[in-house]
Amino acid sequence: MSSLMMDYEFKMKTQTERVKVEDLFDYEGCKIGRGTYGHVYKGRPKDGSDTRDYALKQIEGTGLSMSACREIALLRELKHPNVINLIRVFLSHNDRKVWLLFDFAEHDLWHIIKFHRAAKANKKPVMVPKGMVKSLLYQILDGIHYLHSNWVLHRDLKPANILVMGERPERGRVKIADMGFARLFNAPLKPLADLDPVVVTFWYRAPELLLGARHYTKAIDIWAIGCIFAELLTSEPIFHCRQEDIKTSNPYHHDQLDRIFNVMGFPHEKDWEDIKKMPEHPTLLKDFKKSNYVNCSLVRYMDRHKIKPDSKAFHLLQKLLLMDPNKRITSEQAMQDPYFQEDPLPTQDVFAGCPIPYPKREFLTDDDQEEKSDNKRQNQQQQQPQPQQQQGQQQQQQGNQQDNHNPAKRVRMSGPQGHPGQVNQQAIPISQQQDFHQQPIMYNNGSQQQQQNFQQRF
Amino acid sequence: MLHINCGRLKVIQTLGEHLKLRQQVIATATVYFKRFYARNSLKCIDPLLLAPTCIFLASKVEEFGVISNSRLITTCQTVIKNKFSYAYTQEFPYRTNHILECEFYLLENLDCCLIVYQPYRPLLQLVQDIGHEEQLLTLAWRIVNDSLRTDVSLLYPPYQIAIGCLQIACVILQKDHKAWFAELNVDIEKIQEIARYIINLFELWKTYDEKKEIQGLLSKMPKPKPAPQR
Ligand SMILES: Nc1ncnc2c1ncn2[C@@H]1O[C@H](COP(=O)(O)OP(=O)(O)OP(=O)(O)O)[C@@H](O)[C@H]1O
Ligand SMILES: [Mg+2]
Repeated sequence: MSSLMMDYEFKMKTQTERVKVEDLFDYEGCKIGRGTYGHVYKGRPKDGSDTRDYALKQIEGTGLSMSACREIALLRELKHPNVINLIRVFLSHNDRKVWLLFDFAEHDLWHIIKFHRAAKANKKPVMVPKGMVKSLLYQILDGIHYLHSNWVLHRDLKPANILVMGERPERGRVKIADMGFARLFNAPLKPLADLDPVVVTFWYRAPELLLGARHYTKAIDIWAIGCIFAELLTSEPIFHCRQEDIKTSNPYHHDQLDRIFNVMGFPHEKDWEDIKKMPEHPTLLKDFKKSNYVNCSLVRYMDRHKIKPDSKAFHLLQKLLLMDPNKRITSEQAMQDPYFQEDPLPTQDVFAGCPIPYPKREFLTDDDQEEKSDNKRQNQQQQQPQPQQQQGQQQQQQGNQQDNHNPAKRVRMSGPQGHPGQVNQQAIPISQQQDFHQQPIMYNNGSQQQQQNFQQRF
Repeated sequence: MLHINCGRLKVIQTLGEHLKLRQQVIATATVYFKRFYARNSLKCIDPLLLAPTCIFLASKVEEFGVISNSRLITTCQTVIKNKFSYAYTQEFPYRTNHILECEFYLLENLDCCLIVYQPYRPLLQLVQDIGHEEQLLTLAWRIVNDSLRTDVSLLYPPYQIAIGCLQIACVILQKDHKAWFAELNVDIEKIQEIARYIINLFELWKTYDEKKEIQGLLSKMPKPKPAPQR
């Protein structure tokens, strides 16, 4: 029976045309990253004429998981200097592995901030150009603005997912990476929170998410950018919080909220009118006393970290970290901020031509067994659906976050089986839909037919 | 050719309905299906296998979630037996591993271009703009569903298809929105072409007894060649 499913000639022809990742790249022993849902290798083309480095992400598990699907589907459409470029996808039929090929980025903000922290602890100054933080922020905003105007939410912004290019090519250019959680939001089929009960790493989670907001928004990405900006300015995660026991699927997280209020102060109702409408507002009133936070404010926190409250940097930070999501600045507005018009101006090369003080990526060895088993445990069975009642348990596993600010782990779930819901009425202007495909996308082996298809599709 | 297309696409629609999928998932699956056969002949992969594979992939892309494999297979079996026994006398022959293997071939063939823009959203916007008319929306929505059975989704952008369907709906309901249509900054000729495509389909349905003719059509179709026997 099964022999009928596919034409023999078609199968043979496809097989001969298929290029294997191991035929094109050397990557053995070159593992540079181990994430929640994949292993990342530094790959060198076997064809010696191309001396650039590449990053190869082997997706955890077999087959096409939901998050792999998302990452591929979105990255295939997106092209911007500050968004990581998906060069090609390899499908390995024998072991059913999916590989993604990216440009290689030598640095990322997690490593950069870690380096600064260590230097600060040793009282050794790091020599970086004065405008580096500003250039970093500007390019992050630029990339996010591109995503947002194409109706894509990132939803997992944190230092580990902000890459920075090394010496060449594109020296010192920010690349936003890790779109495994990103989603197109012009066509939400069901409330986003239903699909991924726990998304953004808690430290970078906006207060409305912690209070049970049902929908992800652009403002949630902006909050995370505010957190990253603060961390760049001070080398400390601004909403650092111990998180060992996240036991429920409940988005409400007492300790994380407590930390936010300790930095920002407790939100006044006049500052955030809709806070009353948040699902977890009653819990908030029950658990928290305003009077505990009367002496807390962002001004004080940043002042302790030697950022002057009258500086342009501080003013912009304050707008990014507004508690009320409706009042939070947009990426577009933020890019117009006086901070970026003031000297030193942001540069394309965030290192502004200066020597790069950060070490290159090191290769990981496989001896980190516990982390591996951790991964195995956390990884979702790719092709299996997850019955609803299991979700709570799965989320528990995500609680094992280390306090060492390791790029945090989280569960990427394939959603529970949904049922048809209401048509989303929040229609978008046609003109915006049209804008989606302005740039032709670069992708290897774009056949004639493919090209045509692109234009037709939209 | 259009006839076969109709019957095949109906399998996707029916499967989708049985799986309680949103129309948008079905629509995306339909476009995958069509794109594949726009590039490959029907014998390359058995459409009966490709149809559920397209649904499986589309439900992930449209973030509906991963459909359980067993549920997908069971539904295929039921649907083929109960609804399409006139076309397929045998039982649904495929299992999970076939669908997973087929998914990789489909992905390769689509060159990993998975996001499909649908006319539904522009349609909502347009109807809102006209002044919300429930009846008009319902009918135009159904016409959009029907349009999936034609090749318009391969040939025209979603917003044009939406306008075309809306026009047909207005004609059927005898609503005069000429002034409103005139205001739209669109290529009217294109809209006319789209409307013609869809109306042709309606005309076809009137004269076409699918059940009787499909057996004959299927027998004329090229079949995949099995691997040589050793
Ligand atoms: N293009 C690249 N160039 C260099 N390093 C990369 C690249 N992409 C990813 N990495 C490294 O691999 C790590 C994991 O990659 P990525 O974030 O895409 O995977 P992930 O599984 O989603 O990780 P996590 O779930 O921990 O966020 C990154 O933090 C980074 O250190
Ligand atoms: Mg990551």
